[in-house]
Amino acid sequence: MLASILASGLAVGAIYALIGVAYNTMFSASRVMSFTAGQLGMLGGVLGSLFVLRLGMPYLVGLVLTLAACAVVGVITEVVTVRPVLKSLDQHLYVLSTLALALMIQHAVAVQWSTEPHPFPRLFGPATGGITDEKFWLPIVACILTIAALEFLYRHTLVGRAFLAIAEDNFAARALGLPERDLRIASYALAGMIGALAGFAGGALLLAFVANGPLLNFYGFVPVALGGLGNNRGAIVGGFALGIFQQAANFLVGGIFSSVAVFVLFIIVLLVAPQGLFGAPATRRV
Amino acid sequence: MSVTRRQFTAGAAAAGASTVSFPLPAIAQSEPIRLGWLAAMTGPSSAPAIGFNRGVVWAAEQINAAGGVKGRKIEVITRDTQGDPTKAVNATQEMISALKVHAIWGPTNSGESLAVTPIMARAKMPNIHPCVVDSLIDTTKFPNAFRLAPSNTQWDDAVRGYCLKIVGAKKVAIIGDTTGYGVAAVNASAAGFAKDGGEVVYKANIDATQPDMTPDLLRARNAGAQAIVVWSTSTGMDARLFNTRATMGWDVPFVGHPSMSSGEIAGLVDKPANWEKVYAIGYRSCSYGDDGKLPPRNRELVEKLRGKVNLQDTLLWWVAGGIDAVNLVAQAVDLGGSSPDNIIKVWNGLQKYPGYFGDYTFTTTEHNGYPTEDVVMSAASTAKDGSFKLAPGYKG
Repeated sequence: MLASILASGLAVGAIYALIGVAYNTMFSASRVMSFTAGQLGMLGGVLGSLFVLRLGMPYLVGLVLTLAACAVVGVITEVVTVRPVLKSLDQHLYVLSTLALALMIQHAVAVQWSTEPHPFPRLFGPATGGITDEKFWLPIVACILTIAALEFLYRHTLVGRAFLAIAEDNFAARALGLPERDLRIASYALAGMIGALAGFAGGALLLAFVANGPLLNFYGFVPVALGGLGNNRGAIVGGFALGIFQQAANFLVGGIFSSVAVFVLFIIVLLVAPQGLFGAPATRRV
Repeated sequence: MSVTRRQFTAGAAAAGASTVSFPLPAIAQSEPIRLGWLAAMTGPSSAPAIGFNRGVVWAAEQINAAGGVKGRKIEVITRDTQGDPTKAVNATQEMISALKVHAIWGPTNSGESLAVTPIMARAKMPNIHPCVVDSLIDTTKFPNAFRLAPSNTQWDDAVRGYCLKIVGAKKVAIIGDTTGYGVAAVNASAAGFAKDGGEVVYKANIDATQPDMTPDLLRARNAGAQAIVVWSTSTGMDARLFNTRATMGWDVPFVGHPSMSSGEIAGLVDKPANWEKVYAIGYRSCSYGDDGKLPPRNRELVEKLRGKVNLQDTLLWWVAGGIDAVNLVAQAVDLGGSSPDNIIKVWNGLQKYPGYFGDYTFTTTEHNGYPTEDVVMSAASTAKDGSFKLAPGYKG
């Protein structure tokens, strides 16, 4: 039972963590919580299945096209739903605009693809069913590689430092001559690719299924809130913790009550640490 | 003799009425029989309607090619409701008020039917449909509504009977999804097992997107379940249950909802063997035995349809049900005329009417026309020409 909790919990947790990182990447560049993050994960699975299984493309080509398509969705999100509401962030209009786009994506996929789950291609041979199955380890590997790539980007490249600069203080970054709008678009494209990778790597586990959109929107947001807005490390720890806790709750109290258990824990954590476990307390200059 | 203005007006009105009323019977006898067809041809629940439609079109063509019903052609007027109750309501009102159809076949899903059944009842519109929700048939509230397919209760009876009498499983686990249908079906099924002496050792509703079914199947196994009864329309959940059973090395049978025999499951199971020992609700008329042969009536039908109606991507019972719906309307008009009262009167008197999907019996107090004994279990992975092999234990 422990092996099953860990294998399944860590795999699902890795997907939640990646969706959390996609939320954060968009948030850092714009101070907007874009509720399209879960749909990017869903699109990763659906497009991966479309390109590789239905159109018969090689895996690598399918992956590249999926990442590219979701990067475009990320850019569209920025242009259509974020940019028009940036001037009135305090009114939180982005909640409506990003949710509206998320619903449009959801319905477009339901009509064009199907509302039924479809199989996702096996990248490393037939299913074994046990804990060594790729559906369990592939999302974890994808998550680790993404963390490493983001660390490299943010710490060792000029573009990455520019991302950090606008995340820290976009007014100061603009004053220094950084192209804030271009960097924001690039951040949304990057978030699109991270979300797509979550769906592609988790395709064997979650299937190519339109209903994964709302699921990932919801459970991908929990690690962000637990870990602190904009804090990738917090989102990753929160994602894995959520996955394991959810799977343990599935075993101990049953599926229908595991969601209740997850949200009870979520509320307790936010009562104890409103800024999230890894977020800095809000400070006000006096 | 003087004629007052009042006498003149009355006389003129009588003469006018007699003038316009004479040709009416002639028109009624030659006008086409307008059959309204509320079909969710597009949208998420379109698969059944697409199958039914093939039968409807074929049956109408057959009748019209043979000269129609007493010389009257069948005119099928289709409206795509997209599975949306609002669109179904609009289409129903159009059919009743503007198109003046003689009878309505459909809708094909219960959500739409719940919305339109009272409207049709108010208009006394003869309606026949294949929706399973029990409350849709009520001869007091909806004396115009007739069911051509089994109800939920009939499905439930068949599943329970198979588990208790044929599989010999007294201890069962009942699993459904978290939709309204899943929760209601699990509770009704559990009550039925308890009533008939079965023991429900585990009962659960699972979110259809839950990626790992191990916790629930472990609990069911530890509780001593000898069969797993599944009430869900989610093929993803079905396939995950089958894959998990294989991983656990458990050979418990799955019995339940027809979605377990959906062709989509073939692509979702890790290997074909995982789909064996799965028995989904099916129908005797559309099931073949060990000899691979359908019952004679439908063997003949499949031969007639070959090359004309595609059965590879649909279910035979959908096509057969569509044919039967058209034939039932034609039969009613043939015997009693096309007025609503006559159609309903003829249907109320049908005794074992030999359709392709089933032998229907309706009375004034029972509008569930499908015979319960013909609801059987099918081996889920054995689809052939839209039909399935009878599950083990039945006489072919």
